[in-house]
Amino acid sequence: MAVNYSFDEHLIDKQAKAEEEMLKKFEAGHYTIQDPLVVYNAYLINPLSAVVCFETEEEVAVTVTVLGKTPQGNMGHTFPKAKKHVLPIVGLYSDYQNKVEIRAYRGESNVITIDVPDVFDGKKVIYSMDTTPEYLQDNVILVSPAGEDLAVAFDYAGDARWHMNVPCVFDVKRLRNGNLIMGSSRVIQMPYYMSGLYEISPCGKIYKEFRVPGGYHHDEFEMEDGNILCLTEDLRSETVEDMCVLLDRNTGEILKTWDYKHFLNPETVSHSGSWSAHDWFHNNAVWYDKNTNSLTFSGRHVDAMVNIDFETGDLNWIIGDPAGWPQDMVDKYFFKPVGNNFEWQYEQHACVVTPSGDVMCFDNHHYGHKEVERDQFLPAKDSYSRGVRYKINTKDMTIEQVWQYGKDRGAEFFSPYICNVEYYNEGHYMVHSGGIAYDADGNPSEALGAFAKNNGGQLESITVEICDNKKMLDLHVPGNYYRGEKLKLYSDGINLELGKGQILGQMGVTKEFETEIPLENSGEMLPDSCNARVEDEIDRFTFFSRFEKGQLVMLLLEQGEEVHRYFISTTAVPFLAMCCGTFLDSDERNTRTSINKNGLKGTYDLRVIVDDKKYETGVQITC
Amino acid sequence: MLKEVNSAEFKELAGKGLVLADFFSTTCGPCKMLSFVLKDVEKEFGDDLAILKVDFDQNKELTAEYGVSGYPTLILLKDGAEVGRLQGLQQKPVIVKLVQDNK
Repeated sequence: MAVNYSFDEHLIDKQAKAEEEMLKKFEAGHYTIQDPLVVYNAYLINPLSAVVCFETEEEVAVTVTVLGKTPQGNMGHTFPKAKKHVLPIVGLYSDYQNKVEIRAYRGESNVITIDVPDVFDGKKVIYSMDTTPEYLQDNVILVSPAGEDLAVAFDYAGDARWHMNVPCVFDVKRLRNGNLIMGSSRVIQMPYYMSGLYEISPCGKIYKEFRVPGGYHHDEFEMEDGNILCLTEDLRSETVEDMCVLLDRNTGEILKTWDYKHFLNPETVSHSGSWSAHDWFHNNAVWYDKNTNSLTFSGRHVDAMVNIDFETGDLNWIIGDPAGWPQDMVDKYFFKPVGNNFEWQYEQHACVVTPSGDVMCFDNHHYGHKEVERDQFLPAKDSYSRGVRYKINTKDMTIEQVWQYGKDRGAEFFSPYICNVEYYNEGHYMVHSGGIAYDADGNPSEALGAFAKNNGGQLESITVEICDNKKMLDLHVPGNYYRGEKLKLYSDGINLELGKGQILGQMGVTKEFETEIPLENSGEMLPDSCNARVEDEIDRFTFFSRFEKGQLVMLLLEQGEEVHRYFISTTAVPFLAMCCGTFLDSDERNTRTSINKNGLKGTYDLRVIVDDKKYETGVQITC
Repeated sequence: MLKEVNSAEFKELAGKGLVLADFFSTTCGPCKMLSFVLKDVEKEFGDDLAILKVDFDQNKELTAEYGVSGYPTLILLKDGAEVGRLQGLQQKPVIVKLVQDNK
C-alpha cells in the first residue's frame, strides 16, 4: 500500500479563507448589534475567542465585554468608531455559556451568548491560583508550552481565558503594537527547532510568519525600532543553539547575525553538568540593553550569562562561576563576588537587564556546580531553584547578589530546566518555575520533565509574583511550561486587523547526507508496519514513519540522476536539554523528518532505504 | 585498509602510523551508515590510513581502555597516541579534515 500523503495548507492560508468566508457572510447579511454575526474561533487556533460582526447606522465607538463569572472577571475593550464593526472577542471561558455585552457609545446594547465547549477535553489544567482581583485586575498569566500541554492563560480566579490549540512553543511576548510574538507551530528539526516566529493577534490571527533559515528556538526580543532578535543556529553545522539574528520586522530579512563561536571558543568554555559538544552553549535567552548597546545571552551549558557589544560582537563580560574557564578569560571578563549570601547561578534561563543595569535570571541551579566539580553535583531532592538579581560593577568587575526568591522552597520549586523571571518595577517581579518534575515514585525527578512524564512521573509548574518581598500571586498548574508572561488579552494596540497574513523570510536548505548507500530499487512498497505518512506543505514536507531501533534508514528524493539523501536516525538520542518535549514521541520507534523545499526544484520520487532494501513510497514531492 | 578487528589485532595494529578506530555496534543505525562513509574515506587515503572497526559490545575492555562510552565513536591515533575523537555519525568531509589535520 502506498504511503499516506496529505497536503497541509499553511495556517495563514487557512485563516485567510476563514476570514474571507466570514466577511462574505457579513456582507451578504444584515447584522446589527441586536443580531450580530458571531463566528466562534474565527481564526481556528484560539478556541476561547470569537469575532462579532455588525453594522451601525452611524459611526460609533463600541465596547465589547466578556462578562466574567464575577464582575472582576470582566474583560473588555472599546474600539474606535466605525459603521462596520468586526470585533475580536477574547477571554471566553471553556465549557461555558459565555455572555458578551456589546454596547454602542451612548447607544444601544445587547448581550449575546457564545457557547464554548470544553476545549481541554476534561483535562485538568490548573491546581490553584492564589491572588486577588485587585492585584491581577484583568491581566492573565499566560504559560507557554514546554511539553504536551499547549499555551493557556489564567485570570485572577484561576479560570482559563485564553488557549491555543497548535503547538507554538517557547517564549511569548507582547509587542509594542499590541500583537504577540511566539514560536511558530512548525517544527523543522527535532527535538524542537521551529520554522521561525509568528506575529499574532491574541484572538489567534497570524499576521506574519518570520521564517528563519536556521530555525527558531527558546527566545526572541523586540528592539526599539520594531525589529526582532531571534535565537537560531546553523542547522547545517555540527553545533546547535549558538547563533542570534536580527530580523527586519517588515520583510523578515536577516539584518545582522551573531555567531557565538566568534566570541567564545567551544573548545575552552567551562562545561555545565548538561554540556555536550553538539550543544556546547545552549542559548536559552537574549536581552538587548539600550543603555550599553549590548546583547546578553544566557548559555545553559556554560552556566553563564554572556554580554557582547551589539555593533562589534566583542565580549564585554561573563556572569558565572569561573571554575574551569581559562585563566586569561577569568581575569578579563569574570566578576568577583562581594557582599553576603552570594551564590552563582547554574544552568540558568531568561536573562534580564533591569533599567539600572542589574542582571536577573531564573537560576535553575541544576547540579549546583560546574562539570569540573561533578562529584559535588546536587541530587534533585536536595536542589532548589530561584529568581536572582545581581548588581554588577563593570569598572571594578565586582558582583553582588541583591535579591533572590525560591531557594527557601527547596525541591518543591526546583526546575532543572526552562523557566523565567520578569522585571516589572523595583521590587516587583515574576518568578516562573515551570519545569518541576517528580518520578513515578513521587520523588523529585533526576530526569527532565519530558522524560519523567514518559516514565510515569508527574509534572508541575509554579508561577509567583513578588512585590516588595510579599507574594502577590501563586499559580500552580499541572504540566511543564516554558515561561510565564503577564498580559491583558485586549490591548491599546491593534487587537484585530483584517487581510491575509504574510509568510516572510525563507526556510534553509536541509542538510543532506552525501554518502551513497549503493542499492537498486526493489520496486517494493515500504512495509505497512512502518505506518508511514507524508505531510506536504508549501515550503517543506515531513515524513513520519516507524522503524525498529538500530535499522539503517535513509530518505531519498530522486529525480532522474538527481538524488538527495537524508539520513534518519533510529537510535534514541539522549538529549541533555529537552527544553521543549512537545514533539517528543512516547514511542521511540517513531521518527519525524522534515525536509525544506528550498534548494530543490521539480518533482521528486520519495523512496526510503531500510537496511539492505530500497523501497517505494508511491509519493511524489513537488518543489 | 579497512577491517574489523578484535582487541588483540587492534593492539597489534594501532601503534603504527595513522589509525582511525571506529567503535561501533551492530544494533545502531548511525553505525551502519558510518560504515558506508568509512568506505569512502578509505578510498580517499588508501594505505596512508588504517581504519579499524571495533565491535563495542564484543570488546568491552578495549572500549573502557579508550574511554568510549557510546557509539559510534571515532578515535584517530597517530603512532598509538590519540590525536582526535569524533562522537556520533559524521559526514565524510569532517572525518577527512580530522585525518588531514593530523597527517
